[in-house]
Amino acid sequence: MSNQDKETINQKIERLNAEVDWFYSEDFSLDDAITNYKKSIKLADEIKSDLKGLKNEVSVLSKDFSKN
Amino acid sequence: MSEAPVLTVSQFVDICNQTLDTAFAEIVIKGEVSSFKVNQGKWVFFDLKDEESSVNCFMSLFQLRMPIEDGMTVMLRGTPKLTKWGKFSFTIREVMPIGEGNIKKSFELLKAKLEKEGLFDPAKKRPMPENISRIGVISSTGAAGYADFIKILNERWGGLNIEVAHVQVQGLGSAEQIVRALKYFNEHGGADILAIIRGGGSVDDLAVFNDELLVREIAASKIPVITGIGHEVDESLSDLAADLRGSTPSNVAQILTRDKKLEAARINENILRIKSLLEDKIDRLSSDVDSNIDSISQKIIIEIDAINNKLESTIKVLNALNPEKVLKQGYAILSGKISPGNVVRITTHDKEINAEIKNVKSR
Repeated sequence: MSNQDKETINQKIERLNAEVDWFYSEDFSLDDAITNYKKSIKLADEIKSDLKGLKNEVSVLSKDFSKN
Repeated sequence: MSEAPVLTVSQFVDICNQTLDTAFAEIVIKGEVSSFKVNQGKWVFFDLKDEESSVNCFMSLFQLRMPIEDGMTVMLRGTPKLTKWGKFSFTIREVMPIGEGNIKKSFELLKAKLEKEGLFDPAKKRPMPENISRIGVISSTGAAGYADFIKILNERWGGLNIEVAHVQVQGLGSAEQIVRALKYFNEHGGADILAIIRGGGSVDDLAVFNDELLVREIAASKIPVITGIGHEVDESLSDLAADLRGSTPSNVAQILTRDKKLEAARINENILRIKSLLEDKIDRLSSDVDSNIDSISQKIIIEIDAINNKLESTIKVLNALNPEKVLKQGYAILSGKISPGNVVRITTHDKEINAEIKNVKSR
């Protein structure tokens, strides 16, 4: 399992934000832009797919709080 | 004298108390407070009465978690007891004012006291954690407010680990249950934030959230606490002590989560923005290249024109010096040795002539 497989959705969103920021930064170069753009689109699709599949886990504690 | 056993006074009091314990292990009574007093800063005494009867009540001051005073209608939870002096008394475990006016009065008294202690100081509020993945929920799982909270949470975001402490959220005993749940989460960890959730209700229903012990427990919680109690207009002391307050349970769910639909829209917008940025940069670059090519072409054309002009003027000079042109004007070229008897060649515009020289003289 690679590190990216373990990434949470929030980490992926942060990574995408950083990718987007690069396009507005001084590091921008046309040589790398196409590759980075393709990478960003792939990551965005991955996040959108993750968002659709996300489910919350709700568990009710078995402890009886009416007793000390 | 009958055959009945003879008891000492103490035995009689003990038997009476055992009988009371069996009959009324714990009861709740309602009435009006009268002759309220605190002795030695520790013990609370008052009478609870209605139109016909009155009963002596006793409790320790630290158990009095909602201020009361003469004339207030209250609900008491406790046990009846015969003291060793033969006096009947009701030993109170919990007091709760009832009725809007009484609750409001009690609320104001406790608010002033806790405010003085700095329990509601905005500077002590902790910010909401940045990335919330584990939420400890304290609520009644059967309540509509809880269902709304979970529904909105599930609609907006996913991947959250939500642990729910099911507690009573109204009536006597509920404050203690909520306090136990707060202690449980603080002792066991596993939550980034605690949400106390309770839907709308009457002033009496929500009075539990003005319990002093509960308010202090919220303020002392190591884990940040957010409350979603009742509606926007219902302000409780628990709300004031919490780090954050949502106006309703649904609002708490909104505060705790981002909206995945908005997040997806934001991502699409970002991708479109960088696409358009990239196209702009490529267009600008391509236009720069075009303009460079134009400028080079222009320069080459100017160079060629200059060379052409120079060539034309050279040709004009050459043409002017062309001997054929002179011959055409009627001149001739004489070639050979100029001396009498010699044959010389005369070249005209259209003839080659050989001629013998007859004589030569100086001009």
